[in-house]
Amino acid sequence: MAYDEAGLISRCQQGDQEALRAIFEQYQKKVYRIAYGVVREREDARDVVQEVFIKLFRSIKNFRGKSQFYTYLYRMAMNTALDHVRKIKKTRASSLDEEGSPQPADEIQDRPEQIFYQKELEEKLKEALEKLPADQKATLIFREIEELSYQEIAETMRCSIGTVMSRLHYGRKKLQELLKDDLKRDF
Amino acid sequence: MKNSCVSISKLLEPYFDQELPGEEKRRVEEHLQKCQPCQESLRSMQGIRGAIKPPVDEAIEKEDFQSMWQNIQREIRLREKPSWREVIRGWLDISPLFRKKVWIPALATVAILVFVMVPFLFKKTPSPSVLSVVEYVDSPMYNVMVYESEKSNVTVIWLFDGQEEESSTS
Repeated sequence: MAYDEAGLISRCQQGDQEALRAIFEQYQKKVYRIAYGVVREREDARDVVQEVFIKLFRSIKNFRGKSQFYTYLYRMAMNTALDHVRKIKKTRASSLDEEGSPQPADEIQDRPEQIFYQKELEEKLKEALEKLPADQKATLIFREIEELSYQEIAETMRCSIGTVMSRLHYGRKKLQELLKDDLKRDF
Repeated sequence: MKNSCVSISKLLEPYFDQELPGEEKRRVEEHLQKCQPCQESLRSMQGIRGAIKPPVDEAIEKEDFQSMWQNIQREIRLREKPSWREVIRGWLDISPLFRKKVWIPALATVAILVFVMVPFLFKKTPSPSVLSVVEYVDSPMYNVMVYESEKSNVTVIWLFDGQEEESSTS
């Protein structure tokens, strides 16, 4: 059966959960990619995806169809993921005050070197992404993970293509600086 | 940096992002063949992409989206149960009359009526005194006292003999 997005949106606006399910099935992986791209943890990414579709169900009445639906959904996903990271940072800051720095997990020390390197790189990348301004991080994730074109990113983030290019440039530059020692290793 | 690099550097990122039209794309490719620093820049961008994207694809393979949907459904159901405040607010929103707030004068009138009526409703009125007729008749044998209640048609007669004994009939 063909995917009739406008019809599904209209049904969803009237509270039809089956329509929401069809939209979820269409976009679940795309929203997950955005969520994971920002939070870099599976459990947190799951929480974000769930929150996004709950929010969507409650607020889809406000979608007037003036822009493409995916830009509305991706924007919601990105904002929810960035909010989630802010909340985690706050919680982590308060728990670090109480417990001190976290120790590396023992299981990682038993793994082969390449897996260890990948885990380490992922941790470094997560830290580096957290240091980027939110708009640069969002632009990078839309481009590198979701593979949106400049035009699609501009529509989603409601900015010009020039701004998209500038954010990508500075975001990449900063990541290259932060990860320069970690990206050079070759296996 | 070579002069040609300066003109190409602006195109390098759009080239990497596959945003260049054919002519410019060819120019960048020609330049890349002979320019080591630009090749290095391109590799650096590929390195970033290689670090960001594969973990996402790996994570997605392990996910159970069905259980995610079930959680979403459960959560929607839970959040749909309104609190008592929302119920009241919702009830007030049902009627267009309430929404237009024409009920405010009506409510004010009722409040005034209640204010006026309450003193009357709860006013303690003194109970009416029981009217009675008491007659007292002296006689050589007995002294007689007659009591008549007007409301319940009750008559009480007391007879007192000389030793102040008393008896009553009704």
